[in-house]
Amino acid sequence: MAATTQSMPEQNLDIVTLFEKRRLEVIKEKRAMNILFAACFLAALVASIYISNFYPEKLLSGLPRIFEYFGTIMPALEFDKLFLGIQANGKATSGSIAYWYSDFWLYIRLIIETIFMALTATILGALAAFILCFPASRNLAPNSTIYWFSRRFMEICRGVPEILYALIFVFAVGIGPLAGGLAIAIHTAGALGKLFSEVNENTSMRAVEGIRGLGGNWFEEIRYGIVPQVLPNFTSYTLLRFEINIRASSIVGFVGAGGIGQELSRVISLYSDDRVTAVLLLIIIVVTIIDLLSERVRMKFIGKESFQ
Amino acid sequence: MTTLNTQALSNDDIACIRQQYPLVFKNNKSRIINLSLIILLIAYISASLWYFEIWRLLDASDRVWRLIKAMFIWQDMANWQYANIYKGIAQTLAMAFLGTLLASIFALMLGFMAARNTMPYMLFRQLIRRFLDILRGVDQLVWGLVFVRAVGLGPLAGVLAIFVSDTGTLAKLYSEAIENVDRKQVEGVHATGAGSLKVVRYGYLPQILPLFISQSLYFFESSTRGATVLGLVGAGGIGMIIIERFRANMFDQVAFVVLNVLICIYIIDWISARIRNYLIAKDKTTFAR
Repeated sequence: MAATTQSMPEQNLDIVTLFEKRRLEVIKEKRAMNILFAACFLAALVASIYISNFYPEKLLSGLPRIFEYFGTIMPALEFDKLFLGIQANGKATSGSIAYWYSDFWLYIRLIIETIFMALTATILGALAAFILCFPASRNLAPNSTIYWFSRRFMEICRGVPEILYALIFVFAVGIGPLAGGLAIAIHTAGALGKLFSEVNENTSMRAVEGIRGLGGNWFEEIRYGIVPQVLPNFTSYTLLRFEINIRASSIVGFVGAGGIGQELSRVISLYSDDRVTAVLLLIIIVVTIIDLLSERVRMKFIGKESFQ
Repeated sequence: MTTLNTQALSNDDIACIRQQYPLVFKNNKSRIINLSLIILLIAYISASLWYFEIWRLLDASDRVWRLIKAMFIWQDMANWQYANIYKGIAQTLAMAFLGTLLASIFALMLGFMAARNTMPYMLFRQLIRRFLDILRGVDQLVWGLVFVRAVGLGPLAGVLAIFVSDTGTLAKLYSEAIENVDRKQVEGVHATGAGSLKVVRYGYLPQILPLFISQSLYFFESSTRGATVLGLVGAGGIGMIIIERFRANMFDQVAFVVLNVLICIYIIDWISARIRNYLIAKDKTTFAR
């Protein structure tokens, strides 16, 4: 090569110019890509501002109203009257907690209904997902037609939001927690079924092959080969889903499907006073408590299984 | 073959093995626990279904048939106001885009305020974190309802609802990412005498940018799903069209709209997965260079 005959400084210079050339090329390439991305981004921004009428003056005129609204739904608590109970004539003192939460027992009943709805929906959905997930895993499906159909079925179940299912069930079976429970159960079946089948696809197939070698049929392969491997994971996914379902069941009431959501929607649309914050605060507290408890249980399950 | 096996393992042998490995074989205690758990489960399910009045499912068959029939047999397709429907879908996408964009900008700032290594004042940090907890604890749909009351029906309420609930979640994710950055780069920039803004720009931002972009894209996807149902409470977008048609018993149109929305969400998933892959792959090559 010619480079061997050249002196050292010239060679260095050559490498430096090469480097600079390459660097300029890379920078140019990158800049072109960045400009393209920026142009796409700007176009999307302008289009979405135009379509959704999100103009600054509209936002500015709306902003004070937002703060005004949040001001009106705050409870008017007075410090010296805070813990005054219900008076002899059956009315609570204005400014006390008892006045703020005058419908407390109604809220508690609805919250218990919400929790029951979420629990039932989680159990039913998990059972359906448990049945669906084996034909929907690539390594366990008896044939490709069953695999394809169970996959598509689960996609439909989880693709449609639960509140839309709730809307449909309210039309079909009437207002009440049954509609909400069924809607959440269907969504849960789809979402959990996908997670379960992913767990199945990651299992070791040795146990299945052993059982097949002993002459076991498909059900026995699943029952003794796969289920013992996947049960701890299934349990923790189901608990995680329960947390999500608690949130979901607190809002399906918006379309009349039972639970605290019905009361929340009524209170927000009819009144703008401290009742809104009363219900909201209660929901936040319950959701947080259940999250913490379920996290504890989940850790216990996983911990126990990994130590065995 | 089978006779040989039974000869090789007599009943005594089995009993012996059972005694040696009690955990492998089911003993009576675990059997009773399992049985009682199953009975408890069945009892709970039947009790709750009874409380929910499960028999209403049987009474409903007439309406269910009408519903299912209308969903599969589409009538009068010429007069369906397609322009209206697709405008609603475009509005949903626009709401999700604007909401997520605003949320990721605000969440980045709040993330720095909520991270332990960038916000030394404990009280202020805890205040920001509790505030974010409240934003996250309330569902997007509830925010939608609240903002509809505050600013009226329409997409503005939807954008605000997505903005508020995404800010809560994204800020938490960003603050965790900021807490996990490599200290060395930050200290290096600091040592050159850069001001705090430059430390953020050259010390922190390059490290959290990939996560920032990929999380924002994820949230754009999930906000699109969220924006579909926000319309059910009147916060603009396709949900308003869905509930309008549903109330008017035009179930065939509802089925058509939902199908369109699902296809749209599928396309967005696909595109954003592509963008994420491209950005992450690009990031890796620059790192290797």
